Amino acid sequence: MDNAIMLNLVLYLPLLGIAMLAALPAGHEDRVRSTSFGVMVAQLFLTVILYLRFDPNVAGLQFETRLPWISDWGVYYQIGLDGYNVLLVLLTAFLGPLVVAGAFSAITKDVKLFYAMVFLIQFAMLGTFVAQDLFLFYVFWETMLIPMFLIIGIWGGERRIYATLKFVLYTAFGSILMLAAVIYLVYSLKQTTGLTSFAFADLYRVRLPVDVQSILLFAFALSFAIKVPMVPLHTWLPDAHVEAPTAGSVILAGVLLKMGTYGFMKLGFPLFPDATRAATPLIMALAVVSIVYGACLALVQTDIKKIIAYSSISHLGYVMLGLASLDLLGIQGAVIQMVSHGLTAAGLFLMVGMIYERCHTRELAAYGGLAKIMPVYSVFFAILTLASIGLPTTSGFTGEFLVLLGAFRGAWPIYQQGDAFPLAMSVIAVSGVVLGALYMLWFAQRFLFGLAKAPHSDLTDLNLREKTILATIVVAIFALGLYPQEPLRKTEVAAKQYQQLVGTSRTTVAGSAR
Amino acid sequence: MSWQAALIAMLPEHLLLAGIVLLTLIEIAPRRWASPLAVSAVLVAAAALAAALMSLAGYAAAPFAGHFSVTPTTLLAKAIVLALTVPVVLLARDDFGDDGQFYLLLLSSLYGVSLLLSADSFLTLFLGLELMSLPVYALVLLAFRRPESAEAALKYLILGGTATATFLMGASLLFGSSGTLALSTFAKALSANDVLAQAAVVLIILSFFLKAAVVPFHTWAPDAYEAASIPVTAYMAVVIKAGVLLAAVRLVGQAPLSSTMVDLLAILPLISIVWGNLTAMRQSSFRRMIAYSSIAHAGYLYYAFLGAGDTRFTAVVFYVLAYGVMNLLAFASLPRSADDNARDHLDHLRGLYQRDPFAALMIGMAMLSLAGIPPLPGFVAKFLIFKNVIAAGYTLYAVLGLVGSYLGIYFYLRVIQYLFMSTREPTAEAVITQRAALGAGVLCLIPAVVLSVFPGWVIGLL
Repeated sequence: MDNAIMLNLVLYLPLLGIAMLAALPAGHEDRVRSTSFGVMVAQLFLTVILYLRFDPNVAGLQFETRLPWISDWGVYYQIGLDGYNVLLVLLTAFLGPLVVAGAFSAITKDVKLFYAMVFLIQFAMLGTFVAQDLFLFYVFWETMLIPMFLIIGIWGGERRIYATLKFVLYTAFGSILMLAAVIYLVYSLKQTTGLTSFAFADLYRVRLPVDVQSILLFAFALSFAIKVPMVPLHTWLPDAHVEAPTAGSVILAGVLLKMGTYGFMKLGFPLFPDATRAATPLIMALAVVSIVYGACLALVQTDIKKIIAYSSISHLGYVMLGLASLDLLGIQGAVIQMVSHGLTAAGLFLMVGMIYERCHTRELAAYGGLAKIMPVYSVFFAILTLASIGLPTTSGFTGEFLVLLGAFRGAWPIYQQGDAFPLAMSVIAVSGVVLGALYMLWFAQRFLFGLAKAPHSDLTDLNLREKTILATIVVAIFALGLYPQEPLRKTEVAAKQYQQLVGTSRTTVAGSAR
Repeated sequence: MSWQAALIAMLPEHLLLAGIVLLTLIEIAPRRWASPLAVSAVLVAAAALAAALMSLAGYAAAPFAGHFSVTPTTLLAKAIVLALTVPVVLLARDDFGDDGQFYLLLLSSLYGVSLLLSADSFLTLFLGLELMSLPVYALVLLAFRRPESAEAALKYLILGGTATATFLMGASLLFGSSGTLALSTFAKALSANDVLAQAAVVLIILSFFLKAAVVPFHTWAPDAYEAASIPVTAYMAVVIKAGVLLAAVRLVGQAPLSSTMVDLLAILPLISIVWGNLTAMRQSSFRRMIAYSSIAHAGYLYYAFLGAGDTRFTAVVFYVLAYGVMNLLAFASLPRSADDNARDHLDHLRGLYQRDPFAALMIGMAMLSLAGIPPLPGFVAKFLIFKNVIAAGYTLYAVLGLVGSYLGIYFYLRVIQYLFMSTREPTAEAVITQRAALGAGVLCLIPAVVLSVFPGWVIGLL
């Protein structure tokens, strides 16, 4: 099959899935589950083929589709794979079947609507990653809100309405300012080059005075930073995670949060390079604050979901640090860290969901000594904990190590020029690794070891379905930890392009743009 | 002018007139020989079709030179407004059945709207405005379901009369300063330095603000919307608003605006957006909520005038279409109930997904579109307006308007929360799906999907 057609097929399979679910007669919940799983597996299969066919040596887009959509405005339906999105698309497709399978026993209310919403968000997430036109990107970006709003709001916990409204109102506020910035940016392109286009490739050529760049970067960054989320815009995340059903948490932590960092990498920083370089100390500082503050908060939580939620804030701080370092290793590390966090956080949330289904509490104090009661569960949990800490041979190590290495490599020349700030930030970031080990190991120790206690005495260990889900994730974590060369090679060209785009000045003398 | 030209150019109006005559005959005949609903549905649809076909054929004529003219673009706008009335007619089945008065008044008002869209002189414009408004005062009262209806109708009548008087005052000042009744004098007066002309312009703009319920001239709208029956509310929210805005586009045309005019056309609509969205949050009645939402939407629509001259028509027509289709979709999908008060209460929507998934999905989609969330048509419509405002250089107004639109997201989401996330009330009765309303819903759903997937095609047509 033609690759471009196949990419479209991957993108639209979830919509086909919704149509298939709609056609199913009411009451056949098992058929709804199996159909959803089948569609997700088909999607993963096609995505893997695309990934294998992806040529790492080509700069720019592959498997591209470009059709006029709103021709009066210069909007194109343009999608394609490049080094920026190829791993994230694979991650999204990889988590799809796991999310569906993970919800088999947990979701019993409005099953059809639930899987339809999972498909819808899958569609929107893939679309956001593959879109190469800013208008299309924005449409997909906003479309993600609604299925998540419903997933948390319908199938969530006790305070689900509060949590889901908080999530939507936070994210929508970021998007609305981004919308103004998008229009202004496109308008500026027309002013300077006479070209009306929303294509990323064209927008990378826009030249703007630094002050305008800074305002636009602020508008974009607000939207992306809320999604990441970076401290101090993170307060929606713990609520959303705690109240969301397991599938919602997995999607949220696994893919949705990466939208923010992807947005920075693909749009925010490269579109406004001069403003970005001027703001690098601030970005680094916020990244490091996220790392340390997130870790500290994770340390004191008593709710197991909240521990993982705050650890997400900490882990994504590394991604931001890597992107801000502008060092090739740091950038590549950031990409690996995105995927790695997607895998470990998804796995941990799935595991929390599994124990919650059995015991109906997330209070850490209610548990203890699970290693004796549920040995298989505990082994998986231990592996995921170690991956989250970043133990060598796991994916977490590759990501965090490369990011820190890149941060130091980027900071050293600046230090030699007399500015110690980036170096100081890198040093503080390292402490995040220690803190990470501290809260995760302490969590695992209280959870798995010690006096055996659980809300229910007759706990059954994992069943085959659950074992398979977790084994799949663990295999992926080790694969990424042991053989990172292959994914690194696929993203290298893009990382260099990012480095070059953000590193080159594209400013104009103030006033000449308008 | 030849009588043939008048016959062809006014074909949509003639079809409506034929409908009015037929409905009168049905009413006075001793025996019911046709269904008023069917007659009005067929003739309104025929009028819309005629306008659309004439537009496609590129028909242009001025049968009454200086007073009435048609061009392909105005015919397309006319076709859209007429087509938006078809679901309104179908919706009326539940409330009015075969009560001929309703359809008679509706078609008369529609005739006025149709006239407005072709007006070339203040005379025709005034005729259109009055013909559009007068039947609606009666329509608000027609169902007479609650004691407040009379009060609301009277309020609407008095404020509508004030708008008329203001409009006439402005038009006469303009006539005094220019000596002609042609609409084009308004566009000239926009940039004139003459105090008389400027006073006239301000008066006329304010009368249009009043008709479209822009803050602070909005107080009639929530009462009138709540007092009226569902089809009348839908008609007021969609068709009347569209008529007023399209008439305003006809008035302002492509004329450049002076900075004073820009402020006038931006500040009150901006307040409208913010106030409408904030107040809608507190409503417990669906129709009142839609009223405040429509006040905010009037604000977005007037924002379109800040854009460059040649962009205004497209922006307004596209917005009216997207907004109208989605509003009607919501009204068509509302669950039925014998008790009008209960039916109107937002609590009636609680857990609707459990009772009627299709209706819940439709209302939810309509709310999201009205909130401007992509990929639904409301987003493209809003994008088009704000794009033009920024391109014209009024970035600050655009940002403030967008932030104002953000305030609206909450109450639309609250409806979705009621639909999907609340459990059904034990007292709520089962839903009886009405075939006519379902038809109206499907009639709106198809254009909604087309607008979402191929917005470029529709924009290209305009």
